[in-house]
Amino acid sequence: MKNDSFICIDNVSMWYPAKGNRVFSGEKRYVKAVDGVSINMDRGEILGIIGESGCGKSTLGRILARLENPTGGDVYIEGESTGNLLKKDPKAFRRLVQIVFQNPYDSFTPRDTIEEILMRPLNIHSIGKDKDERKKIILEALESGGLHPAEEIARRYPHELSGGQLQRISILRAMLVEPKFVIADEPVSMLDVSVRAEIINMLLKLSREKDAAVIFISHDISLTRYISDKVAVMYLGRIVEYGEADEVISNPRHPYTQALISNCGSIDPDEIMDKIKVEGEPPTPINPGPGCYFASRCFKASKECFKEYPATHDVGGGHKVACDRLY
Amino acid sequence: MDNVILDVRNFNVTYVNKYKKVYAVKDANFSINRGDSLGIVGESGSGKSTMAMALLRLLPEKSTEISGSAYFLGKDLVKLSEEELKKLRWKELSVVFQKSMNSLSPVHRIRTQVEDIYRVHNPKATREEIAERFIHLLKLVNLSDRVYNLYPHELSGGMLQRVSIAISLINNPKLLIMDEATTALDVVTQGQILDEVVKMEKEMDMTRIMITHDMSVVATSCNKVAVMYAGEIMELGYVKDVLKKPMHPYTKGLMASFPSLKGKKEKLQSIGGFLPDLSKKYEGCIFAPRCSSAMDICQKKPPVIEMENGRTVRCHLYGGER
Amino acid sequence: MIRTIVNDKQLLFGILGLIFLLLVAVLAPVIAPEDPYYYGPDVLNKLGENGHLLGTNKMGQDIFSMIIHGTRTSLKVAVISAFISGILGMLIGGVAGYFGGQVDRAISEFINIFMMLPTFFLILLIIALFGNSIYNVMVVIGITTWPSNAKLMRAQALSLRERTFVKAATAMGESRLQILFKYIIPNGVFPVIANTTVGMSNAILTEAGLSFLGLGDPNIISWGQMIYDGKAYLTSAWWIATFAGIAIVITVTIFYLLGDGLNHVMNPKRSKGKGV
Repeated sequence: MKNDSFICIDNVSMWYPAKGNRVFSGEKRYVKAVDGVSINMDRGEILGIIGESGCGKSTLGRILARLENPTGGDVYIEGESTGNLLKKDPKAFRRLVQIVFQNPYDSFTPRDTIEEILMRPLNIHSIGKDKDERKKIILEALESGGLHPAEEIARRYPHELSGGQLQRISILRAMLVEPKFVIADEPVSMLDVSVRAEIINMLLKLSREKDAAVIFISHDISLTRYISDKVAVMYLGRIVEYGEADEVISNPRHPYTQALISNCGSIDPDEIMDKIKVEGEPPTPINPGPGCYFASRCFKASKECFKEYPATHDVGGGHKVACDRLY
Repeated sequence: MDNVILDVRNFNVTYVNKYKKVYAVKDANFSINRGDSLGIVGESGSGKSTMAMALLRLLPEKSTEISGSAYFLGKDLVKLSEEELKKLRWKELSVVFQKSMNSLSPVHRIRTQVEDIYRVHNPKATREEIAERFIHLLKLVNLSDRVYNLYPHELSGGMLQRVSIAISLINNPKLLIMDEATTALDVVTQGQILDEVVKMEKEMDMTRIMITHDMSVVATSCNKVAVMYAGEIMELGYVKDVLKKPMHPYTKGLMASFPSLKGKKEKLQSIGGFLPDLSKKYEGCIFAPRCSSAMDICQKKPPVIEMENGRTVRCHLYGGER
Repeated sequence: MIRTIVNDKQLLFGILGLIFLLLVAVLAPVIAPEDPYYYGPDVLNKLGENGHLLGTNKMGQDIFSMIIHGTRTSLKVAVISAFISGILGMLIGGVAGYFGGQVDRAISEFINIFMMLPTFFLILLIIALFGNSIYNVMVVIGITTWPSNAKLMRAQALSLRERTFVKAATAMGESRLQILFKYIIPNGVFPVIANTTVGMSNAILTEAGLSFLGLGDPNIISWGQMIYDGKAYLTSAWWIATFAGIAIVITVTIFYLLGDGLNHVMNPKRSKGKGV
């Protein structure tokens, strides 16, 4: 339901027709990559979306950036549908919503220097009066991102820089247009551990200083807890748990979240986690259901869980869980 | 000592091509006892995978220079001929790679491939023997025995990786090397496979080397750890010592880049600077340019300092010359 | 870059050969001892006779000078037809691959239909209808050989479309045309360039073939034309046709080497063994 949050993701779905669409059996098969996701976000809020590969989080990210259009539902920014915003004024929309991709090594055309690459958004959106002013903006941005000496970095080609540097430039490029909504799709998965902090801290700065809403998509739970205000856990295209980051991670209520977190290793060798075993493999998102999507692997499942998809319960303080076997 | 499975001394691996040499592993020294599980941790360019591949001589002969010694069950792996190595590979020593799932032939059933592999060292084995043995291993990695008759494409990534692990154990090797074997898998599968491997080790009296960039893998499944940076082992010791009280500045920096899952949120640190050019030789400590505790003396290469409890650190902060 | 060129024998010889051809073409008036159009008194001279290095033909033209000047024609034909073919292929293939959907389907069908047409007969038809001036020949070769370039470009565009930097450009607000010309075409053009060099040698052969059949431009000095003229004299004055034939072989070989070498260089699939 549309409301007046800054960002309202309203029952968004992405159903791809599956191969072998059996028209004869009457039931069309769909790959339900995203299946009815609804979340509200405020300005400056950092929302972490965690889940394993195949849960639909990256697809959701692309839908939010309108690189793909949802097959159901819509995303509203300040009450207006992003589909409409894009149609009405594509350039304005692209200033409003930006995305940082997972692979920094492929985020830039290999044929341009960093300066040329950063000049593009400035030119397209007419930021800065003239070429000199734009060059100044670029150098300032590089400096603020910790890329010294800025003059030299600006002259380099992408293949001459490291993954960490490239990803910082990727974020800087997004920041040049002053977006209010940034989607970071696994921004540090391909980077060395020791350079992740720089990226994470840059994203934090972005949200705190520019009041931008940030979605942090990741499969790394401890990293997500570190950066996020709120967290949503996805499984097979649906959100199974949502709430304050600390709360969800230290007190997970959905069996899937519990299993996920229990299997996360700690770097403290004394901390021995009792790993919850999860049977079977994650099924494909082709026509899942009819009951809870996790039921077939759930250690708490009962007969009812297979009949109907569970309702979302609020267990206090905005902590929501899509499970009927909470108590 | 009968207890020492692998003893590596002054191990160096250099890639050589027409234009330059790349010093991928420099002066590595460590030993593993029976039943140990050594985690070799490092980021890209640390040389960890190179070292493992070089121990097994899986790198192209023409372009690699290996020096030093690596005594495995009394034989020096560096000096063995290809024939002698073949006898060891997969019988006493085996490897599981990161994307082992891709090493299985897509057009043969698992059973056919396992039979082929087993018969390399046991040419007279019967199908029943092999099946019995392998199904036992499948149980250890939590797979049902019907997997034995399936084709690789009928299994998921996690299942295939488990099959690869089972295959690596088929001849009851003394030493198993897992090179980022769980990195490509999801968290839940990774957690479970690690548990299975640890349990299995006890049952099979096996020693393991675990190569990874993920400190939590080491914390949960290894008893010893070696931290590598730019080809050198910076710190080595028992996991409970090194991870609780890291000594080398690089180890400290690395630990600080892993946020904790629970409890207080410490500010996430990064290690500034970037990896040095591995084609150059360095006079001083190779980590010094990025080290916040660097001193003048770090212009000279720090020796490996032996501390108590089998711990070694390559850092001037802990001794050596002053 | 110099090192890459030197290391690949084909590319090296291809480039050296090309430089050689260019020099010959540019310096033709200087190198050629006579004006090739001069219908001199020395008719059907043998090799070396009367100072004619390679003899003369029935009209008294010095064969050596004709060969030199023929280089210009051949290079012109090669470059212009390959250029037309390349540009058409690049644009059509790029649009099909990047825009996808209905556009791609329509264009692909169009390409398929075009490829079904027997090119040589199409060329003959057009020459027959529109005349055989050398410029017609060049244009015709260009507009009948673009499909292979289009297919290459389309394949490149299809894969480039999924690259992160292209998605980033969309997210940045670049228009589809901007993306096509700034990211898709520049990054995907390499195989087209390699294919175009091969196309150049085919163009020269086609022009020679047309001339040989008498459909070439008789007013232009070209090697194909020389072979046509020399056909009747193969037994008596063999030098008229033979040296032109050799010139064609050499030139075509140079272009093939160039194209092959370019392909090697642009395809980093040469296994040098794994590095660090």
